[in-house]
Amino acid sequence: MLPTTFHPQNNNEAVILAPVHRVTRKDLLLWAVLLGIMGIGVYAYLTQWFTGLGVTGLNRPVYWGFYITNFVFFIGLAHSGTFISAILRLAGASWRTPLTRAAEAITLFSLPFGVGAILIDMGRPDRVMNIFFYGRFQSPLLWDITAVSLYLFSSIVFFYISLLPDIALCRDRLTEVPSWQQKMYKILALGWTGRGEQFKRLERALDNMAIFMTLLVVTVHTVVSWVFGMTVQPGWHTALIGPFFLVGAIFSGTSAVVIVLAILRRVYHMEKVLPVSLFNSLRKLLIVFTVAWLYMMIAEFLTTTYGAISDEMLVVWQKFTGDFAVLFWTMALTVFVLPLIIFLFLGKDHVGWMVVAAILINIGMWIERFLVIVPTETRPRFVSTLMEGMGSYHPSWQEIAITGSLFAGLILLYVVFTRFFPIVPIWETAHSGETK
Amino acid sequence: MSKMITRRDFLKVSAVVAGSATALGALKNVVSVQAAAEIPTTLQTAADENIFASTCHLCSAGCGILVRVANGKVVKLEGNPMHPVNQGSLCPKGQAAPELLYNPDRLTGPQKRDRSTGHTSPITWDEAIQLVSQKLNDLRQAGHPEQAVLMHGDTRGQMRSFLVRFMQAVGSPNIISHESLNVAAAKLGVYLTQGIYAMPAYDFEKTNYILSFGANFLEAGSNPQRTISGYTYLRRGRATRGKVVVIDPRQGIHGAKADEWIPIKPGTDAALALGMANVIIRTGLVDADFIKNYSFGFDNIGKAKGFRDFVLDNYDPARVEQITGVPATTIARLAGEFASNKPSLALLPGKGGLLNGGFGGVYAAMAVHILNALVGSIEAPGGTMTQRNMPCVEWPRLSSDPTAKKGLATPRMDGAGSKFQLGRNAYQAVADQILDGIPVEALFLYDANPVFETPGGSRFAEAFKKVPFVVSFSSFLDESAELADLILPEPTFLERWGDDHIEGLGYPGISLYQPAVDPLYETMNTGDFLLKVAETMGGPVAKAFPWKSYQEVLQFRLENIGTDWKTFKELGVWFTPGYRFARRGSQKWVNEIVGVDRLNAPRDGYFDLYSRELYCFLGKMKKDELATLGITMTGDGTSLPHYEETNYAGDEATYPFTLNVITLMSLGPRSEAANMPTLQEISGMTVGETWSSWLEMNPESASKLGLRDMDPVWVESPFGKVNTKVRIVKGLRPDVVNMPFNQGHSAVGRFARGRGVNGLKLLNPASEPLSGLAAFTNTHVKVRKS
Amino acid sequence: MAKWSMVIDLEKCVACQGCSIACRFENNTPVVGPDQALMGRAMRWNDVFPLPINADEDTGEYPNVTSRYIPRPCMHCENPPCIKVCPVGATFIDNEGIVEQNYARCIGCRFCTVACPYGVRYFNWLEPKWEAPLGEHLNPDRVEGEGVLEGPVVRPRGIVEKCTFCVHRLIKARERAEAEGRDFRADEYVPACVQTCTGKARFFGDLDDPASTVSQLAKSTRAFRVLEEVGTHPKTIYLREG
Ligand SMILES: Nc1nc2c(c(=O)[nH]1)N[C@H]1C(S)=C(S)[C@@H](COP(=O)(O)OP(=O)(O)OC[C@H]3O[C@@H](n4cnc5c(=O)[nH]c(N)nc54)[C@H](O)[C@@H]3O)O[C@H]1N2
Ligand SMILES: Nc1nc2c(c(=O)[nH]1)N[C@H]1C(S)=C(S)[C@@H](COP(=O)(O)OP(=O)(O)OC[C@H]3O[C@@H](n4cnc5c(=O)[nH]c(N)nc54)[C@H](O)[C@@H]3O)O[C@H]1N2
Ligand code: SF4
Ligand code: SF4
Ligand code: SF4
Ligand code: SF4
Ligand code: SF4
Ligand SMILES: [Mo]
Repeated sequence: MLPTTFHPQNNNEAVILAPVHRVTRKDLLLWAVLLGIMGIGVYAYLTQWFTGLGVTGLNRPVYWGFYITNFVFFIGLAHSGTFISAILRLAGASWRTPLTRAAEAITLFSLPFGVGAILIDMGRPDRVMNIFFYGRFQSPLLWDITAVSLYLFSSIVFFYISLLPDIALCRDRLTEVPSWQQKMYKILALGWTGRGEQFKRLERALDNMAIFMTLLVVTVHTVVSWVFGMTVQPGWHTALIGPFFLVGAIFSGTSAVVIVLAILRRVYHMEKVLPVSLFNSLRKLLIVFTVAWLYMMIAEFLTTTYGAISDEMLVVWQKFTGDFAVLFWTMALTVFVLPLIIFLFLGKDHVGWMVVAAILINIGMWIERFLVIVPTETRPRFVSTLMEGMGSYHPSWQEIAITGSLFAGLILLYVVFTRFFPIVPIWETAHSGETK
Repeated sequence: MSKMITRRDFLKVSAVVAGSATALGALKNVVSVQAAAEIPTTLQTAADENIFASTCHLCSAGCGILVRVANGKVVKLEGNPMHPVNQGSLCPKGQAAPELLYNPDRLTGPQKRDRSTGHTSPITWDEAIQLVSQKLNDLRQAGHPEQAVLMHGDTRGQMRSFLVRFMQAVGSPNIISHESLNVAAAKLGVYLTQGIYAMPAYDFEKTNYILSFGANFLEAGSNPQRTISGYTYLRRGRATRGKVVVIDPRQGIHGAKADEWIPIKPGTDAALALGMANVIIRTGLVDADFIKNYSFGFDNIGKAKGFRDFVLDNYDPARVEQITGVPATTIARLAGEFASNKPSLALLPGKGGLLNGGFGGVYAAMAVHILNALVGSIEAPGGTMTQRNMPCVEWPRLSSDPTAKKGLATPRMDGAGSKFQLGRNAYQAVADQILDGIPVEALFLYDANPVFETPGGSRFAEAFKKVPFVVSFSSFLDESAELADLILPEPTFLERWGDDHIEGLGYPGISLYQPAVDPLYETMNTGDFLLKVAETMGGPVAKAFPWKSYQEVLQFRLENIGTDWKTFKELGVWFTPGYRFARRGSQKWVNEIVGVDRLNAPRDGYFDLYSRELYCFLGKMKKDELATLGITMTGDGTSLPHYEETNYAGDEATYPFTLNVITLMSLGPRSEAANMPTLQEISGMTVGETWSSWLEMNPESASKLGLRDMDPVWVESPFGKVNTKVRIVKGLRPDVVNMPFNQGHSAVGRFARGRGVNGLKLLNPASEPLSGLAAFTNTHVKVRKS
Repeated sequence: MAKWSMVIDLEKCVACQGCSIACRFENNTPVVGPDQALMGRAMRWNDVFPLPINADEDTGEYPNVTSRYIPRPCMHCENPPCIKVCPVGATFIDNEGIVEQNYARCIGCRFCTVACPYGVRYFNWLEPKWEAPLGEHLNPDRVEGEGVLEGPVVRPRGIVEKCTFCVHRLIKARERAEAEGRDFRADEYVPACVQTCTGKARFFGDLDDPASTVSQLAKSTRAFRVLEEVGTHPKTIYLREG
C-alpha cells in the first residue's frame, strides 16, 4: 500500500483537474479531425517517399523550402516553455507559475515536429543512420542534431520532474478514471509522496536544471541559425544571425503561450486560475520582444543596405521590392506594427486582443523563417538561374499538406495531454500568492 | 635532381612544422577541410571495348569522331584528334549523337502507307526493292524517266555523286539539292565574281582582321568546327591577336565574342560592303597589283562604267549610313582598318541576310567577296583558299541508253536553269512546280524534310498529293515521311558506311563513316538499297552499278586517295595537309582558282568586279524585263554589285519588325536534332529557355509595345501567325526580332513534337526569280501580347 | 602528389556547350525533361550560361552591349564549403585535390547544395529515366570501394551529385599505366569536357608541377578565380577575355 501522500493545498484544484476527468465526444471529434489532417500529411509524405523530393516545389537553387522553414519555426516555438519556466524561474518571476506547464508542453510537443521536419526534408530518409555511422562534427547539421536532441531530452526531464507531484495527485484523486489510466498515473508517479525532502529536492533540481536549460535555449537556436550562418551565402553569412534567431524564437514561443493560455482559459473555464494579470505580464514581455525584434531587424538590414555589397543587396531587394515583397511587408506588419499597436493601446486587460496579436506574431514569424531561408536561395551568387527564368519557389500540395499535418500533430499531442494531465501545475500554484 | 632534393627537404621541414602544430590542427579540424581517409577504390568497366574512327553527320562540318563501343553499345563519342577539321573536339550535337542512334522514335523498318486510309503497314525490303524498281522501270518504259525526282538535303561525300549517277542512269536530270535554302546565294556571289561555284575556304590562322557579314561562324556556318578553331587560333594561338568585327542585326555569340559588333539594318550588306570599297578605293588602299593585273572591270570599259566609278559615285559613306544605319565614320574606320591590317578577310555567310527573296542577296555576296579582292586576299595566305577535293576514281562511263538520254535532255523540273536562269537548284520551288502542273510520278526524299524546312512548307503537303509515289529514306518519321507512300529508313551514320569530303581548310581530305555497331533495326543504307534496285531493274541501270554493296562503291571510289583501305578504316580520315596557294596568273590560277566554272564568260583567270557572267544574262535587258526579276537597277549597274532594296512582304506600318530566323548551336537546321532530348534541354542557353521556342526582342521595342520579358505573344506576318513568348535581348536591333529555327515540329518524334513553334510558317514562300533561291529574310511581322 | 586543376580561357570559349554534353554522356547525367527543366532541375555538372546571372546588372545599352558567357564545372575548391557542411562525409576531397562524391553515403540533406557558392551540386529530385532504348548509351564505368560508390554509375534519386573532374578517368589511366608496367603521366588524364572543348579553351593538369600548362596559365595576368573573395580557393581557374 502506498504511504499517504502529502499534496500542497490548492483552492483551484477542482477547476484544474476538471478537464482531466473524462474524454468527451467533442474531444474525440477534434482528435479525429486532427488525425484526419495528419492523415493527409502522411499520404503526402508517402507520395514523396515513393516518388522522391521531386514532388515538392523545391528546385535548383531553392533546395530548401517549407520543410526547413518548419524545422526552424518549430524549434523556435519550442523556446516558449523553456523561456517561461527556466529563464523566468531564474529571474524569480513568480507570476509565471500557472503557465509554466502550458508553456513547457509547447516545447515538448514542438520539438519532435521540428526534428521530423528535417527527416521529411531528407532525400534518403532510409539512410538516416549514416548520421550516426559517419557523423562529422565539422558539420553544423551535426551540431544541430546534438543540440536539439540534448534539448529534447532535457526538456522531457525538466517537464517530467516538475509534473511528478501532479501525477501523484492524479493518482490519488482521480479514482473514477479507467483502470489503465490509474495504472499509468501509478507508474509515472514513481512513488512520489510529497513528504520530507522531496519538494525541496525537486525545487533544487529544477533550479539547477533551469540554468542548464537557459544555456540550451541560447545554444539551440543559435546553432539552428548556424546551419545558415556557416555558409557564405548572401543574407545568411552574418554574425547577427544567431541572436536574431534566438530573439525570434523566444518571441514566437512566448506569443504561442499567449494563444494556448487563452484557449485553455476559455475552453476549460480557468479564468480564475489563469487571470488576466498573467496576460498583462506577458504583454510587457512581448513589448520588449517586439522592440528587440525591431532592433535586430534594423541592425541587420541597415548594415546590409549601408554596406550595399551587391550580392547581399540582391537578396535584400528580393525582400523589399522583389518576389517576396508582399510576404516581407506582411511579416513586418504582423510581427511588428500591428502587435505593437495592440500591445500598447488595446491589449491591456484584453485577452482577445492579446490573442489576435499573438496569432499575428506567429503567422509573421513563420513567414519570417521562410523569408530568411528562401530569398537568399533565389539569388545565389553564381547559379545559372537565368537559364530557367530566375529562381522561384512554389510549394507543392505535398509540402502544404505536410506542413498542415505538423501543426495538426502539435495540437493533437497538446489536447490529448490536457485530457490526461493537469495543464496548470497544481503544486506550484498552490504556493503562489501565499509565500509573497 | 637537386631540385627534387630541396623539394623533399622542404616537405620534411613542413612535416615537422605541421606535426608540432597538431594542437592547433585539432581546432583547425573544425573550421577547415581535410582529405578524407583514403578508401581504396577500383574501376569497373565493360568487359569488351572497341574504338571506331568515323565521321559525324549531324552538320556539314563532318567532324572526325572516335566512337567508344562498350559491350556492343555506343557509349561515347570523342573528336578524332587526327581529323583536321575538329582536331579532337566535338560540339554538343556530335557529343549527343548516341541519342540519335538509340532514339526511341527511330523508324525500325520499311513501311508502306495506304493513301486512302493513311494507315502504314510494314513490308519487307524485297517488296520495297520490287516496288521501287517496278516504278522506275514503268517510268522508263513510258519514256518519262525524268518524272522521277530526287530531293536531297545536306548530302555529301560519295553519296552525293552516287545519287546523281543513279538518277542519271535512270534518266532523270531531277536531282535537287537543298542548297537553294542555304549556301547557294553565297556560292553564286563567288561564282559571279571569282568564277567558281563554291564556298571559299578561309585561312583564319594567318589573317589579321575579320569582317564577318552575317556569317554565324561560332554557332553555325557551313563548318562550325573549322571556323571555331580558326577563330580561337586567331585570338590566342599565336603572338598577335587578330581583330574580329561582326556585322549582323543581332549580336549572338559571334557578336559577343567580337571586338566590335555592327548592328546593320537587315538586307543592306551590299551597301555597307560597297561603302567600305568606296573608302578603300578613295584612300588608295587597294591591292594595286591584283586589281590591275588579275581583275576585270575596275576601270571603265569603254563606255561601260567600271567598279571604281560606280562605287565612288554611288556609295559614299554618308549615303551608306542612311541605307545601313551604320555611322559613316564607322564605315570609314572599319574600311581603313580592313585594308591596312592585311591579310584581312571578309567572310561570306552561309545564309546571313542573303536569302532575302531578291537578287540583291546575291549582289551582296558579290560585294562582300569583292572586298577580299580589293585587299588582295583572294588565294593568298591569310585570305581565301579554294577548296580542293581528294581525287576519286572516275565512275565507269554510263552505257548509251536512249531512254536515259531522252530523259536527261528534258529541262529540270524545279526550273533551275530555265525558269530560274541562274539557279542550279530550286528546292523549295519543287512544290510550286508540281502544283503548277509539272508531272512528277515518283518523288524520292533523301535526308530531306521539305514539308518542315521550307518557307510555306505546307505547299509540299499539297504537292505530294499530286505525286502518286513518294518515297522517303528518312531515319525518322519526319513531317515529309509522314506523307510518303514508302518509308525506307536508312540507318544512322553510326551504323553505316559512308564518307565525307573535308572542307574549309583548302587542302583535300576524306573522312569515313563506318558502322560502329550493327544496324539496330531493319534499316538499309540507301546506297545498298539503290544498288539492289538497280540490279532488279536490269538493263543499262543494272550495268551502271556493278558493285555488290555500298561499301564496295566506297572502296572503288577511294582507291587513289593515297592510303589503303585498312589504314583508312583505322584512322577514319585521310588528307594531304598544307594548302599550296596558286601564284597569281599562273597556269594553276587560270585552271583552278579564278573563272573555271564560268559557263558564258571567258575562263581567263580574271576576277570579275564587273560580272561578265551576269552581263550575259542581264546586260541587254530592258527596265521592265528587269523589273519582272525584281531588279530596279538598269544598264551596267546590273552587272555590278550594288544595293537593291529588299522587297519585304508586309508593309512596315502594319508589320514593323523584320523576322530573323536564327540557327542555334544546339539545334540548327536538322530535324532529327530536335528529337534529341539532350539538345532540347540546352537549346535556349543564351536567353535561359529550354525545350521551347521564343521571340527575341530589343528592350526598347518591347517597352514600346508594353511587353515584358516572358510575356506570351502572337507573332503575325501576312502569311500566318504563331504564339510564343517574348524574351528581351539587348544585343539586337530594335527593328528586328529573332526566332530560333527547328522547333515547332508536328512529327519526327516525342521530343520534337509540339515543342515551340515553327517560324517558317510566317515566311514568304516565293522563290527569287533569277536564281531560284528561297527567301528567309524578307518577311515583316507584327507582335502583340496574347 | 598531383594537384589537379582546370583552366578555362574565356576568350577562346565560344559558349557552345560541348563541354556540358560531353560531361552528360561521360557521366550519365539524365535529361530531366521540359517540366523539370522549367523548374530549374536540369542536371548539368558543367553548365554554360550568360553573365551577369542577374538581369539587374549593367551590360550597357544598345548598341554598346556586352554579352559574356561562362562555362562552369566544379571549382574543386581547396577550401570547399560543400565538404565542411556535409554531416556524413559523403562529399570529400582526395589527396590530389579532387572534390568527390560518395553516392553510397549521401543522405540527401542538400546542405552542400545550399553551401556551394557556385551552384555546382545537383540533387536527384526524381529517379533518373532514359526512355528505352536511350539508356543503351550509358557509360558502364563505375568506381567502387568499401562503402563507396562513385563515377559515372547512374545515381539513384534522393542524393546529390557533382562534377568529379571525371575521376574515373584518372583511375583508369593509372590502372592502364600500371598494367603496362610504366609510370603514369599527368597528360594521360583528361576529363571529358576538356577533351571535347570546341574552342580548345580548356586546359587540365597538375598545378603542383610548375612546368605544366595549367601552372603556366595560372600565372597569366588574365587569370582569375570566380568569387575569389569568398575564400574557397578554387582550382578551376579562368582567363579573362581581351
Ligand atoms: N551548330 C550547328 N552548326 C551548323 C548547323 C547546325 O545545325 N548546327 N547546320 C549547318 C547548316 S545546314 C547551315 S546552312 C549553316 C548555316 O549557318 P549560317 O550560314 O551562318 O546561317 P545562320 O545561322 O542562319 O546565320 C545567319 C546570321 O545572319 C544574320 N543575319 C540575318 N539577316 C542579316 C542581314 O541582312 N545582314 C547580316 N549581315 N546578317 C544577317 C542572322 O542574325 C544570323 O546571325 O550552319 C551549319 N552549321
Ligand atoms: N527560315 C529558315 N528556314 C530554313 C533555314 C533557316 O535558317 N531559316 N535553314 C535552312 C537550312 S540551312 C537547311 S540545311 C534546312 C534543313 O534541311 P535538311 O538538311 O534537309 O535537314 P532536315 O530538315 O533535318 O531533313 C533531314 C531529314 O533526314 C532525316 N535523316 C536524319 N539522318 C538521316 C540519315 O542518316 N539518312 C537519311 N536518309 N535521312 C536522315 C531526318 O529524319 C530529317 O528529317 O532548313 C532550311 N530552312
Ligand atoms: S560541328 Fe557538325 S559535324 Fe562537327 S561534331 Fe558538331 S554536328 Fe558533328
Ligand atoms: S565549387 Fe562548390 S561543389 Fe565544387 S568544391 Fe567548391 S563548394 Fe564544393
Ligand atoms: S546532400 Fe549528401 S553530400 Fe550534400 S551535405 Fe547532405 S549528405 Fe552531404
Ligand atoms: S571534369 Fe568531368 S565531371 Fe567535371 S564537368 Fe568536366 S566532364 Fe563533367
Ligand atoms: S566546350 Fe569549350 S568552347 Fe564550348 S562552351 Fe565549353 S568551354 Fe566553351
Ligand atoms: Mo543548311
